[in-house]
Amino acid sequence: MTTDAADRTTAAGRVEPANGTAAADDAAGTAPVDARRVRQVVEAVPDPELPPVTIGMLGMVHHLDVHADGRVQVELLPTYSGCPATEMIERDVRQAVAEVPGVREVAVRFRFDPAWTPDRIDEAGHDALRSYGIAPPGGPIPEAVQPSDPSRALPLAIEPTTATAVPCPYCGSGDTVQDSAFGPTPCRDLRYCASCQQPFEAFRST
Amino acid sequence: MADLALPDLSTPRSQVLLAIADDALISGHRASHWTGVAPSLEEDLAFSTIAQAGINHADLWYQLVLDGTVDDVSAGVDALGLGREPEAYRHAIVCERPPRDFAYTLARHWVLDRFEAIRLASLAASTDPEVAALSVKLLHEHRYHLEHAQLWFDRLVRGGDEAADRLRDGFTQVLPEALGLFEPVEDEDQAVADGLLPVGHARLRERWLESAAPLLEQAGLADLVPAVDAAVPDEAAFGRRGCHTDDFVVDVWPEMTRLYREHPGARW
Repeated sequence: MTTDAADRTTAAGRVEPANGTAAADDAAGTAPVDARRVRQVVEAVPDPELPPVTIGMLGMVHHLDVHADGRVQVELLPTYSGCPATEMIERDVRQAVAEVPGVREVAVRFRFDPAWTPDRIDEAGHDALRSYGIAPPGGPIPEAVQPSDPSRALPLAIEPTTATAVPCPYCGSGDTVQDSAFGPTPCRDLRYCASCQQPFEAFRST
Repeated sequence: MADLALPDLSTPRSQVLLAIADDALISGHRASHWTGVAPSLEEDLAFSTIAQAGINHADLWYQLVLDGTVDDVSAGVDALGLGREPEAYRHAIVCERPPRDFAYTLARHWVLDRFEAIRLASLAASTDPEVAALSVKLLHEHRYHLEHAQLWFDRLVRGGDEAADRLRDGFTQVLPEALGLFEPVEDEDQAVADGLLPVGHARLRERWLESAAPLLEQAGLADLVPAVDAAVPDEAAFGRRGCHTDDFVVDVWPEMTRLYREHPGARW
């Protein structure tokens, strides 16, 4: 993240000369925008609700069009259709791309086809989620699991569900239960680890 | 704000999409009742999330109604969600009923979620690619709503006499009125013929009944299963044509639209 912030500062610092260059290049008919750089800055935009996780890690970046005249079109796949973070993500992507030298216009579009699914989250994303105390979706249960003793679950979980167990992000145990299908954001649910007796959140598996 | 040129809302396409959107908006609005007062913290989060999902899903369906006709999409969405008169809303009356007790809310949630899952599954085959794509996306997310509804259904059925009785009371109220969900919108046949709505509401009723009846029977609620040809009770009929009860006209609608009406052009 630090490296990225430094890069962005540099890019911002070069805005004036870069624009000047872009205008000159445009007249000469060349394409000054570094498409790889555009992809880097787009993928580095953090999820505002899960700051260690970037939209690149989440697999939200569907398609980028970088045109020779400095127009950039970004197509993103929203994780959850009703996620209020999408507006912030759109703004952040727009700002990040606008700072890439040569970019003149940024269009961001969210699309539902193909539908985003949690298997688009990459390994770095899984690690980042875990570091934030959130179990990533899917993945193998790391150890042989004894059936949970329901009496050890949180008092409010009258009857834990049979939702697929996910490993605890703190101790790694697979002896966990889903307490509630709904958590603090549309993409997370509430879980409980019977091994370390820690409540935690998990990224939903659909 | 002024001069928002909304598309023609009387077309079969608009009517179908408004019915879907309004069901989500109004049932979402009613779900928000439990924010802060649900019986447990988990359920507070659950119904707040269900409310948020309903209102946001309505937003997305309204965007499809707009179909690119307005430049300011969020103003267009507000005009559809908050700027219409009560008789222009196309949700079924069961969506506008007050939350009553928690058992009624859970029974309604169970009925509505199973209906919505069946309707979304059929819409995935819509000839309108945007309708199909949105339906597929929402269907993925809908699984959690179904699981939550079924969990509570099972819990109350097995939860002792009072829980089972209250669930029975909830279903006794909700099931007859739920038949209003399956009334067609104006000129629905045209939308079916066009492939926009691959399965009309009347056929959705058959599918819903086939999937819901066995579960109700297993739960000892067989006597409440609506007959195949049961009529919609008068007090819950014609929501899809814009007839609404005081629960909407003098309760939900004034509260929901007040800020929009008193501060034209407000942004949030």
